[in-house]
Amino acid sequence: MRRSAVIAAGAALSALALTACGGASTPASGTGATGPATTGGTVHYLLSSDYSHLDPVRGWDGGVNNFYRLIYRGLTTFGAGPGKEGTKIVPDLATTTGTATDDNKTWTFTLKDDIFFEDGTPITSEAMKFGVARAWDPEAGIGSPYARLLIDAPKSYKGPYVSGDLDTIETPDPKTIVFHLKKPFADFASALAQPNFVPFPKGTGAANAFDAKPIASGPYKVESYQRGASLKLVRNPHWKAATDTVRAAKPDRFQITFGLDGATIDERMLAGQGADANAIAGAIQAATVARIQAPQFKARTLSTYMGCTTYMSFNTTKKPLGDVRVRQAINHAINKDTVVAGDGGTALATRATSIQPPTIVGRVDYDPYPTDLAKARQLLEEAGLADGFDLTLDVRPVPRQQGMAVAIQEALKPLKVNVKINNIDTSTFYEVIATPAQQHDAALTGWCPDWSSGATFLPPLFDGRNIYDKGNQNLAQINDKAVNERIDEIAEMTDVDAANAAYAELDKQIMELAPIVPLLYEKNVTVIGDNIAGAYLSDAYSGGIDLVSVGLKTPGK
Amino acid sequence: MARYLAGRIAGLALILFMVCLFTYLIFFQLSPDPAVMICGKTCTPERIVQIRTILGLDEPFLSQFRDFLVGLFAGRDYGSGANLIHCPAPCLGYSFQTSQSVWEMIVDRLPVSATVAVGAAVLWLLAGIGAGLLSAVKEGTWWDRTLMGLALGGASIPNYVLALSLQYVLVVHLQILPFPSAVAFSDGPVLWFQSYLMPWVVLATGYACLYARLTRANVIDTLAENFMRTARAKGLSPVLTMRRHALRPALTPITTIFGMDFAALLGGALITETVFGLNGVGKMAADSIAKNDQPVIMAVTLLAATFVVVGNVVVDLVYTGLDPRVRIR
Repeated sequence: MRRSAVIAAGAALSALALTACGGASTPASGTGATGPATTGGTVHYLLSSDYSHLDPVRGWDGGVNNFYRLIYRGLTTFGAGPGKEGTKIVPDLATTTGTATDDNKTWTFTLKDDIFFEDGTPITSEAMKFGVARAWDPEAGIGSPYARLLIDAPKSYKGPYVSGDLDTIETPDPKTIVFHLKKPFADFASALAQPNFVPFPKGTGAANAFDAKPIASGPYKVESYQRGASLKLVRNPHWKAATDTVRAAKPDRFQITFGLDGATIDERMLAGQGADANAIAGAIQAATVARIQAPQFKARTLSTYMGCTTYMSFNTTKKPLGDVRVRQAINHAINKDTVVAGDGGTALATRATSIQPPTIVGRVDYDPYPTDLAKARQLLEEAGLADGFDLTLDVRPVPRQQGMAVAIQEALKPLKVNVKINNIDTSTFYEVIATPAQQHDAALTGWCPDWSSGATFLPPLFDGRNIYDKGNQNLAQINDKAVNERIDEIAEMTDVDAANAAYAELDKQIMELAPIVPLLYEKNVTVIGDNIAGAYLSDAYSGGIDLVSVGLKTPGK
Repeated sequence: MARYLAGRIAGLALILFMVCLFTYLIFFQLSPDPAVMICGKTCTPERIVQIRTILGLDEPFLSQFRDFLVGLFAGRDYGSGANLIHCPAPCLGYSFQTSQSVWEMIVDRLPVSATVAVGAAVLWLLAGIGAGLLSAVKEGTWWDRTLMGLALGGASIPNYVLALSLQYVLVVHLQILPFPSAVAFSDGPVLWFQSYLMPWVVLATGYACLYARLTRANVIDTLAENFMRTARAKGLSPVLTMRRHALRPALTPITTIFGMDFAALLGGALITETVFGLNGVGKMAADSIAKNDQPVIMAVTLLAATFVVVGNVVVDLVYTGLDPRVRIR
């Protein structure tokens, strides 16, 4: 998921919201389903902003990835169901999750029978290869980078429109596709669930054609699309339910409305008048949290983790923060409960202790730095900083960020650490903090994994060999030999479960260096219409409502 | 007249060129690197360089600006091979965020902004001038005081407060209007009218209050003029004096202000469109600023400037028709 996705996810909750007053309690109904959906009807979807791109090699964030599953199919995908079910990798167009040979370096997939594009042409391995090769196009390939990162390709390859066929992907017959990877990768099936491993008829989609009119392989196709305003989906008659174990695809149509004000969406969802009874929406505003505590909304409220961690990152190249004792002291001093309160209360987030959030497979719950002011003081004294120091914290000027920043400021006062809150406009915040030359002492930021594994959480943030002048994600600029080596060792493991367990240990190893302060795990809270059925929040899509399962109780209503 | 017009148009072109130059300078030179934002989460320096090349950001400022101007008048090509896209004149480039042609984005959204602007303008002219006239004629009475009191109150309510309050009362509570959305006229005139009614009222309120106070002041001034006394002395009926002698001089300043206000509104009613989720130019401006989408910000600024500058010239021309004293020979 792109960094901007983190913003999008966060902004959905934070941007215009006011901090909720009082400690609102967690909505009762967890991720549980709302009863089975019946076939037919139109599901309305109210959103504040349009999807980034309908072309799956361009778009890449929790919201659009979830949408892509309605119109596209890949070789594998995430399971459909609440909780762990949603992060399981299952076959989609392929018959299995792949056969590995050559020490996980060569992966072979066989396509199912009876699979077609929206115009009725069969989906072949050639079409699959063409779709995957589009990721190398310098203009189109701005989405998920995993095809380029993992699959072997000539260095000069620039996608099918410029360089023609990609010879390193083999298609010995119309049903078989063979990928050769750059190096062994045991979790390739997870990478394939990324949205850009989608088939397209050979030669289509040049010059951003799919952003206006995609070619569907999934249960729905685009009927009309008005950028920024509305998107209507109707059934793809050539999709065969028997070939698809994931998508229930109950409604006949989806009608998505974009560009609505967040507060207006909440009003509409709570009022549920007319067609809004058949509507779903994104996360509610923090200001609405108190209102959904009323009993009549309990049954219509869903809440789950977004699968991300919000944290304060230290810049270890700055003077006192290069000392691990100082970073540990701050970790001990910050009371996460007050940070959660500053963010809007426990309905919207829970306190974080480890780097990886609870949705990560193999993650272990532990607290390396329980709140302990005495210990913090002692560590600072050892570092010769008993008189404290100044710390500039980069934050976005939105209420929830401000609330967290003030909580941190208050928490560090007893240590005589003077926190200066430095606001950077939301539109440029991530550009600034990803440029080490412009970074200050610390920043409030977050990270969401691309799939529920430490592989897409820890290495991107803490691999010391990935410190760049621009677009840098290792904000702490931590370059620890032991951590780097461990990252390489885990990457070579052939057993995915063992690798995930190793990432949980690596989480602890990194936290000993205290490059960040994990603050909270944000939740997605959403209200659904009265007539909505089959709704649950998916761990694979930033806690959004799983669109492939949602439908209506009574379609005629 | 022709010479005057030619002069005005030359001046207009110069102003628009300067607006272009400064907006370009501000957004392309002073803001952080948009390539970093596009590159996203798992990014490498090579990828950033590649994106900068594709967007043309690696070129020197002057050649970027030249390409922009050439595109504006002659169109330009983007990409190469099968990916080649020709962007016909007036080419405003492609959105960094959505890869969509900025010109098409504007053309798509302009009807919504125009609908909002025209409807609001009709409302505020009727209400503002009507209330102003009534107050002036009934100067000092409770009519005058009530109307002017309301005007002061109306002018001091922020747009978004009024918008959300109206929505809460009329839509959520009383359920007499639907939640506003950009409904097309072809979807049904009644629904169209209902959907735009609140945006019109919200936008018109502030202007109507201002126009009411202006009209009142102007009419009272005019009524005190010597020629008005003469007209009354000649025995003209009060209605005729008002219509023929008082309104014309009193309303000419209003024409000037109206021309400029209306032109500015065509460039998008940022707050109203955002609050009501109307997909107009103003909403597009707000979104592009939030996402640092420079080509779109650039285009919206240019569009708004064009409307204001052209609106000014039109106002001056209309003025010469209304007021013989400034007529050009």
